[in-house]
Amino acid sequence: MLEIRFHGYGGEGIVTLAEMLASASIKTGSQVQSLPSFGVERRGAPVKALLRISDQEIFMRSECRIPDILVVLNQKLLASAIEQGIKNNGRIILNHHQQLECLYPLTCINATKIAIDENLVVGRVPFINIPLMGAVAFEIGIPFEKLEEAICEKWAGKVGIRNAEVAYIGYETMQERRK
Amino acid sequence: MRRLFDTGCHVVAQAVKCADVDMVAAYPITPQTSVVEEIAALTESGEMNCRFLPVEGEHSAMAACVAAAAVGARAFTATSSQGLLYMHEVLHMASGCRFPLVMVNVNRAVFAPWTLWADHSDSLAQRDTGWLQLYCASLQEVFNTILQAYYIAERVRIPVMVNMDGFILSHCRMIVEMPDQQVIDKYLQHQPNGWIADPQNPSAYACVTGADLYPGFREELFNDTKNADKTIIEAAKVYHELTGMWDGDLIDTYRCDDADTFIIAIGSMAAEARISVDLLREQGIKAGLIKIRALRPFPAAAISDVLSDGARVMVLDRNYGFGTEGGIIFAELKAALFERAAQLQIANKIMGIGGADVNYQMMADAVTSAWDFRR
Repeated sequence: MLEIRFHGYGGEGIVTLAEMLASASIKTGSQVQSLPSFGVERRGAPVKALLRISDQEIFMRSECRIPDILVVLNQKLLASAIEQGIKNNGRIILNHHQQLECLYPLTCINATKIAIDENLVVGRVPFINIPLMGAVAFEIGIPFEKLEEAICEKWAGKVGIRNAEVAYIGYETMQERRK
Repeated sequence: MRRLFDTGCHVVAQAVKCADVDMVAAYPITPQTSVVEEIAALTESGEMNCRFLPVEGEHSAMAACVAAAAVGARAFTATSSQGLLYMHEVLHMASGCRFPLVMVNVNRAVFAPWTLWADHSDSLAQRDTGWLQLYCASLQEVFNTILQAYYIAERVRIPVMVNMDGFILSHCRMIVEMPDQQVIDKYLQHQPNGWIADPQNPSAYACVTGADLYPGFREELFNDTKNADKTIIEAAKVYHELTGMWDGDLIDTYRCDDADTFIIAIGSMAAEARISVDLLREQGIKAGLIKIRALRPFPAAAISDVLSDGARVMVLDRNYGFGTEGGIIFAELKAALFERAAQLQIANKIMGIGGADVNYQMMADAVTSAWDFRR
């Protein structure tokens, strides 16, 4: 079983991020469980979400204490995210403009820049979860077509196509990093 | 089979839609809110052919359900915590009038202090209202159990409360297989009603009843609640025959055949406890799990049949039985197994209060710290 924990601020879209990766994983035949943090969700407050992906039925109902992967949407949350637990051989994907030193293998993706460059901004809020969907999908081996399918089911028409295009940039960026 | 990937709250709404419910009256409360929102949206769009009554509180929600059931409608409500407590008085009315209502309670701890997260204090406080109580460990079980609840309620004419842990299940997304509608329709054919109020021919029901008649009604409810176990078993069996799906009947068991050490759990803890059992088995402990599905009627005989002589029994309670030795299920179980007291070692651990995280390691630790297995 693969466990991923997402950290962001309320409104940055981690719940949707986890949900889309879950939907895409289902299309590969996996069992999934996605769960937002057990908190009162408020815009701007630190929030968590978890995603479990398995080839067998998932019986876990507890919080995700030591995930295989941490996905952190804001550098300010990195220290606290690590402090809350990660597997010894865990790895981290961080939305940040430059590579940082870290105790764990850390990959920085500038999702904010991708979202702004691609004009995926509504009310001055860039949709950083969209490029990150692609990046994480690559990292956990979800074929891009499955993610694209999930995105186009969630958002009908042009919005879906546009989101899928931006998610692909995240997917490619991660692919580059892993070469 | 159709496949759904959605939150627990939305799975409830889909099950209610599949059950072809005629009337839903409900008031929103965290963490049940999106059950109400989704049913309101489905009825508004016409996707669900049902009357939705947005009432001003839970007391009225249950009163409206009682009235709908009185004229023969299939009714539903959902609530949580304080909402369920607020309903308390009308819960007695529903069971006393023998209305086949189904309610989903999204388990949440109770005030004070304020909290939003799961434990079982809300539903256990309604233990003696004459309702049947079923508890679920997965979203698939929530879906299946709502349908089974109508099957049961309409046969025994006692209302059924289906419980699911707040946030842990209500806000979790998992895959749920939905049987085809014609299969569900076959399973849930409307049962002939015991009595239906006819607005064209007004008459009075459940009026002031003296000590000549009142005890008889209560005794009948008492006996029928006890005997409802057969219908709960039948509901699970027939559902299994039609859909192939099985979550247990009064209880469900895991690796109990050769077990001498048992975990007894309820709700979402009963899913993760399977992993605790595997972990204990790896340590050489012959562990097994008994998941309690039906708390009312209490499955005393079903549990006793599984327990071998000399067994160690760890009861996990997500509640406090104030003024007793521990949790409410612990007290219930000890009373139920009183005659086997000399053959069993029953221990208790209270965990998960107010949404406190419960994982498989903690449940396994509860077992290994209660008894010395090194001997």
